[in-house]
Amino acid sequence: MSSDALGATIDLDRVVDREYVGEIGLPHGDVLLAFVNAVHLGEPTLSDVRHDLTAAVGEVGLLEAAATIAVFNGLVRVADGTGIQLDVGLDEFSHDDRARLGIDRFAGAANTTARTRSGVPPATIGELFG
Amino acid sequence: MMRIVDAQQAAIAALGRAGDWLDATQRIAAWREVRAAATDRLDLDRRAAVSPNASSAQHSATDELTAAAMEVVHRVATDPGRLTRAWADEQIGELGEEVYTELVGVVAIASVIDRFHDATGATRPDLPDPEPGQPSRVRPADVGDIGAWVSQTTGPARANVSRTLSLVPVTNDTWRDLVDSHYSRGAEFMSAVWDRTLSRPQIELLAARTTVLNECFY
Repeated sequence: MSSDALGATIDLDRVVDREYVGEIGLPHGDVLLAFVNAVHLGEPTLSDVRHDLTAAVGEVGLLEAAATIAVFNGLVRVADGTGIQLDVGLDEFSHDDRARLGIDRFAGAANTTARTRSGVPPATIGELFG
Repeated sequence: MMRIVDAQQAAIAALGRAGDWLDATQRIAAWREVRAAATDRLDLDRRAAVSPNASSAQHSATDELTAAAMEVVHRVATDPGRLTRAWADEQIGELGEEVYTELVGVVAIASVIDRFHDATGATRPDLPDPEPGQPSRVRPADVGDIGAWVSQTTGPARANVSRTLSLVPVTNDTWRDLVDSHYSRGAEFMSAVWDRTLSRPQIELLAARTTVLNECFY
């Protein structure tokens, strides 16, 4: 399965394959994946990977990558810790892709599938995150 | 980049102050336990088990945190993808939903700070000294059941992830500042093209892989 993002075709199967590190369809995607995996797993290669990433995207790029990884480590904890459901519009929009990619097997899926959904679907992304 | 650094410094200071229902010593103790959880034997055993409920062992209470608070901190820190409603209900029954939610928020904030330092190769900051003061103890009037495990803001036009900590506004302010500075950056979030060194697809790649590694459905 692939996804088009601003002209780039991204291999989503490889994105969700937690062990895959390599070409993904984006510039420097291989080293970005190596970096996020090394940070998450606390791998001894982290220092080398950090050096590779800095060489590829510069110091500011490294900080942006670190900030993204850091804040999403928080986001997963507030999402799973408070047991939020997938938003109504997003639930319907992503239904087939989630099943295809195996995301519905994650334990947190039960929060959305087993309970009554409430609220009005947002009409725009701006409404969703504003 | 200064926004990120400023938000990190503000978050460190905030965890050294009283929050919504926890005092400063309790919030700092929770952060200390987040760090300890990475090498805690019980947490490692649970994480390796097919089910986190396979072991009947429990974390002991400390001077600052009850056993239930310790359970919340350690489980949210080390195994967030396998939390269940039944588990949360048990902890909420012991702690109350406000304290439970604040603990989740403190763990999340501490995780952001420490993970950022780990990723950049910087030394993790020292835990702050506790500032005097009392928790605000304010339960917002506009929270209710929207299908999550805890009460959240009930307005219809906001993503559920944007209101996860809305039950605890002091902690939520710190949390939302971290999210805005590290990722969404206000109105720029609505644009497909971001004015950053990394492209939006590159950033979303990092975000997606991080959520997969944490087995986060949302």
